[in-house]
Amino acid sequence: MTQLSSIDYSIPEVAAELERGPKWLRDRRKLSRDAFNRTPVPPRGLHLWRYTDPMRFLFERGSVSDSAFDRDKDAVHQLGARYLRDGHLSAFVSDLAGRDVQIQTTEELTARSVVVSPLSEAVDQHRELVELYLYQLINQQTGKFEAMNGALWNDGIFVYVPNNTVVEQPIHLLREAGQAHSAQFPRLLVVVGKNAELTLIDEYSGGSTSTDDGITYSNGAVEIFGMQESRIRYVSVQRQAPGVQSYLTHRARIERGATMLTIPLAFGAAISKQNFGVIMNGPSADSKMYGLLFGTDHQQFDNHTLHHHAHGHTTSNIDFKVVLGDKATSAYTGLIRIDHNAEFCEAYQENRNLLLNPGTRADSIPELEILNEEVTCTHGATVGPIDPMQLFYLNSRGIHKPEAVRMVVSGFVASTLKMVSDDLRERITQIVEQRLEAI
Amino acid sequence: MSDQIEQQKQELAELGNDYATKYGFRDPVDYFHKGARGLNHEVVEMISRMKKEPKWMNDIRHQALDIFYAKPMPGWGNTKLLGEIDFDNIYYFMKPIESQQKNWDDVPEYIRKTFDRLGIPEAERKFLGGVSAQYESEVVYHSMREDLKKQGVIFLDMDSGLREHPDIVKKYFGTVIPTTDNKFAALNTAVWSGGSFIYVPEGLNVTVPLQAYFRINAENMGQFERTLIIADKGSRVHYIEGCTAPIYSTDSLHSAVVELIAMEGSYIRYTTIQNWSRNIYNLVTKRATAHKNATVEWVDGNIGSRLTMKYPCVQLVGEGARGEILSVAFAGVDQHQDAGAKVIHVAPNTSSRITSKSISKDNGRASYRGLAKIHKQAVNSRISVECDALLIGKEARSDTYPTMEIDADNVRVEHEARVSKVAEEQLFYLTSRGLTEDDARLLIVNGFMEPFTKELPLEYAVELNRLIQLEMEGSVG
Repeated sequence: MTQLSSIDYSIPEVAAELERGPKWLRDRRKLSRDAFNRTPVPPRGLHLWRYTDPMRFLFERGSVSDSAFDRDKDAVHQLGARYLRDGHLSAFVSDLAGRDVQIQTTEELTARSVVVSPLSEAVDQHRELVELYLYQLINQQTGKFEAMNGALWNDGIFVYVPNNTVVEQPIHLLREAGQAHSAQFPRLLVVVGKNAELTLIDEYSGGSTSTDDGITYSNGAVEIFGMQESRIRYVSVQRQAPGVQSYLTHRARIERGATMLTIPLAFGAAISKQNFGVIMNGPSADSKMYGLLFGTDHQQFDNHTLHHHAHGHTTSNIDFKVVLGDKATSAYTGLIRIDHNAEFCEAYQENRNLLLNPGTRADSIPELEILNEEVTCTHGATVGPIDPMQLFYLNSRGIHKPEAVRMVVSGFVASTLKMVSDDLRERITQIVEQRLEAI
Repeated sequence: MSDQIEQQKQELAELGNDYATKYGFRDPVDYFHKGARGLNHEVVEMISRMKKEPKWMNDIRHQALDIFYAKPMPGWGNTKLLGEIDFDNIYYFMKPIESQQKNWDDVPEYIRKTFDRLGIPEAERKFLGGVSAQYESEVVYHSMREDLKKQGVIFLDMDSGLREHPDIVKKYFGTVIPTTDNKFAALNTAVWSGGSFIYVPEGLNVTVPLQAYFRINAENMGQFERTLIIADKGSRVHYIEGCTAPIYSTDSLHSAVVELIAMEGSYIRYTTIQNWSRNIYNLVTKRATAHKNATVEWVDGNIGSRLTMKYPCVQLVGEGARGEILSVAFAGVDQHQDAGAKVIHVAPNTSSRITSKSISKDNGRASYRGLAKIHKQAVNSRISVECDALLIGKEARSDTYPTMEIDADNVRVEHEARVSKVAEEQLFYLTSRGLTEDDARLLIVNGFMEPFTKELPLEYAVELNRLIQLEMEGSVG
């Protein structure tokens, strides 16, 4: 156990480069910094911290560098050009270590007044929007680590889709983490106007390849606002390198008639603690979440989901799947909250855990907080190995173990992957197959 | 038909004040010993000395009090209500009469009348193998059928158990629930008094249930009974407890510790009908250890109390052990039933099932809080958890906080929960058949509770249905 008293984790005065920007932003940073310094490290008994040591996301200020992207930056930036040419994307954003953000968009997108911009520029150029929405869902009150991001984010990404605008092709955000002994605080703010439509692929990769070489710390924050009748698809792909200790908080708020599809996919990092939440804030708002994580080696996953029905006549559905091999562990805590005045809501939640071999461990805590009677709400959770009957059946058809396991797992993850676009699904399927081969 | 409905209607109307008349009455107090309010080492010493306890128990008590002081209040659950407990305003020990009686005629009239009104002597005659009646801190009446005694069954109040069988008590006391388990277990260990001590010899099947009835009469009373049940190899026993208290404006505290030990191949069923008045904090620790091929069943009904926090637990430590927990909670006006169940699988090939049913009505809040844990070595284990919640009224609240921690291979764990209100279609169907909406609702609720009530001895099932009827009264609108 680390001696808490001997190491100073607090954030002193913020670096000069973060002191640029308007006064309101400097004030918000200061609020976050003060909250971070004031808030104690969450005790292990605390809800949502039972399964992960919070110390894994803290580091001495002097022990990491902020600017630590040692790979070929241009290569990353150019990655998107190909996607754009193929016509699969309407924009590609490369975000290096949460500080170097480059945007490539199609002309069509610019012509339709869709904004894809580094957050540092949007602070000036789209001041009203950014000041109104940034820090609204994730701020110094959310938690210690959210306050940390709020104080230390360097640059982020801002996406704005005007009313009645449909962005047909996805916008792809690639967040490349820095090398060992670095820390980054990626931040994303998305505002989707009335009756507008957007698909976002938010991909986190890179970082230290082994904790032995040094840790890469990643602490991200994603805020998404969906106005009336908007339609948003948000795919989060976490495939960071094995030396990354990764923390992410995501909150979305959707208004009347808006629909939100969230697909959290997690494969990477040494430790990954992610919290995805959608607040349904107007009648007929609908949120669906189809999560999948696949852990191998000694990976630790600690995932939370929240469906908060803040308004009546809203619907939600969560299907969160977990596959574990080697010595990987996962804890999933999913909360459905239906407020007192939010009548006539429907909420469903399912968490299935597939354990591929002994030594894995899956915890499941599907929670409900229902504060009125006019609701329909169910949840279910299962934890278990591959059904031996399925393997027996496949065996009897001449399909033997490794292949049979592959088929069963493919079937298990298929319903989630069919939600994402073809090219992304191909890439995810490859990751899944590589993992199965490695076990 | 219409006559019947009229009669039922009248019954329902009359049921309004039922708890007050049926259980809520209070007796004039003329106690043999009534200590002072508040808790300190002198109180603990006084309890221990009055009971003429051996030194080792005296030591355990004092240690426990220090642990109680050192432990913080739970930081989870209904911390607001927990924070309202004033430990200094509680009487920790009240001895109603000098010595325990074996004959109802020898029990002082006011106490006898109390239990008469509660129907205990009648039930004893009808279908019980033994009865223990606790009033405040001590058991005032105790008897057991002669044939059971001859077969070697020990059924005593815990104080007598310690006096007459110190070796057995010393061997098992605090082994299932250590003093350090939680703040309220420590409190109980420091000031425990009364409760039941049961030992069933090897191979014996006790076919009739043994019962204890717990009654709190005084205001600001703290009742801390301690129960220890040991079923030796291959034996079977069914134990029932019931509880009630009068209605006061200030609160009383009930904090029991119940330890069950089921030896190889034995079977224990422990049934609780908790119907404390709504000014009682019911903070209870109940846990069982099931050895090889043993079965433990908790049948746990929570209807009364202001705040209940109770999670009966089975630790499956022997291969092939089985645990079953059937829990029902009814949360009415201003009540919070924070009930649940825990199963901890330590040995291979063990299985368990948790069935939880809760009803939240008016501004009541029912929470299911559970733990299903499978340790590494408990391969081939099975757990199934099912939670059903019914909400009646706009202010009602239902929470589900299940935790599943699975650390072994080749196990299967299933959890399912449903929260809903009484279905319109069902109400419509029943009212179309001529039932009033009140009756229809009652019928649906009784149906919802049936998996629980059918596990109770008939007399209790009837009683429970009546209680629910009472709670459901006037629920329309």
